Amino acid sequence: MREQQITEMVNEVLEEYFEIEPERLLPEMNIFEDLELDSLDIVDLVVVLQKKFGVRIRDDERIRTLRTLGDVYRFILTLQEEGASPAA
Amino acid sequence: MKRVVISGVGAVSALGNDVPSLLAGIEGGRSAVQYMEGWDQYSGLRSLVAAPAALENEKAIPRKSRRSMSRMSFFAVQATEQALADAAIGQGPLSSDRIGCIIGSTMGSAEGLNDTFETMLPERDLSRLTAMKFFQCVSHTAAMNVSQYLGITGCVMATSAACASSLQAIGTGYDLIRLGKQDVVLCGGSEELHPTVTASFDILFATSTGYNDDPQRTPRPFDRDRDGLVCGEGCGMLVLEEYERALNRKARIYAEIIGYHTGGSGEHVSQSNRESIVRCLRGALASAEASAGDIDYINAHGTATRHGDEVEAKAIREVFGDATPVSSLKGYVGHTLGASGALELIVSLAMMEKGVIYPTLNLDAVDEGCEGIGHVMRPLRRDVRVVMKNCFAFGGINAALVCKRLET
Repeated sequence: MREQQITEMVNEVLEEYFEIEPERLLPEMNIFEDLELDSLDIVDLVVVLQKKFGVRIRDDERIRTLRTLGDVYRFILTLQEEGASPAA
Repeated sequence: MKRVVISGVGAVSALGNDVPSLLAGIEGGRSAVQYMEGWDQYSGLRSLVAAPAALENEKAIPRKSRRSMSRMSFFAVQATEQALADAAIGQGPLSSDRIGCIIGSTMGSAEGLNDTFETMLPERDLSRLTAMKFFQCVSHTAAMNVSQYLGITGCVMATSAACASSLQAIGTGYDLIRLGKQDVVLCGGSEELHPTVTASFDILFATSTGYNDDPQRTPRPFDRDRDGLVCGEGCGMLVLEEYERALNRKARIYAEIIGYHTGGSGEHVSQSNRESIVRCLRGALASAEASAGDIDYINAHGTATRHGDEVEAKAIREVFGDATPVSSLKGYVGHTLGASGALELIVSLAMMEKGVIYPTLNLDAVDEGCEGIGHVMRPLRRDVRVVMKNCFAFGGINAALVCKRLET
């Protein structure tokens, strides 16, 4: 999956599920401070991303290191490259 | 003991999303019952009618508050905001340990529970559940969400006794204020419609099944041709306030709550029982230090089940005879279950204010088993000073509340 496509798909999730205006969806945005997601939102973001990308990431420790939207794009790309096991 | 008054009301129902539209619908003799498209896909579900409310403007609630809410919590937030505006209580004073919120429901969000199992069960995969599902589903979802949204820090509680839930919420709020533990309690009940809710009654042969082609003619409380209840949804909320506080701030006072009683039948989970209802009605009268003759109007539970209506009518006859006007509002908005006590009390307060008793819709010919009480079959002009509201629930749980107009 190409980087651009991942960016678009992640942004779709943030726009539709978390109602964030598209113009705020920039890679440098901090997902907590700028996009105002909290710990409960992150739980749901993981559930929605798992479904969207067919990956299992709920128990992946790397989730804790994500800070910016760019981190999220790169994390999904890394998972794709690692050939993460498809979600059941 | 402190005195307790009702100083604000709010409602979302199948007749509209505020109190005026609910009252206008009832005054116009309108039934909100309709055929439910798509319900025929459920094999074994025989009752295909219900009284749905419209979900409107829920996006006005900010996402972070909205994310943990289901349909019944949206209704509850909207009805509570109406009640607070009606009582002229702004959001400022709500963050006080002296202001509480008690909202009842049968079992939390039926739709939320259904979604949860539909998500989890096909693959038995819990990782597909969002963090919000729990908060949307739980029994106290409406009380919790309303309190979080409004910043209420007093007593937050959810009564859960099926069709008596909201009357128990009001009764509990009444007791808390009487005892001096709270100054204001936002009380009521909220409920959402779902095929599984109707099914829970349908399985027990308690639903109306013979009017799927003619929905407006059912439910028919106390009528010869009644064949069961019809589920509705919505929320009724009342502001209960300590009398002196309401007086000091020159609040509009709808009525004073002067009596309340709740008790179990201790006998059967689904069949109501005359003796226990009689004890409940007499308990409420004793609590109000009133006699049967002091009650000007009884707002019946009257759901239109064959057995329940007859037992209630016999109990009312035993305590009140045939002189006290009685009507049920289920024909207009269906049985809103955990919300019915609050919604129907709000309409009863309007009858008190307007000096008119609204009749039982669809009661055309009183059933032999329900005779001997003062059925109201057409609008009745009457000075109503004291009303009694009845609720009888699965589990043999009975509740009755007595309210009195304050003379100025």
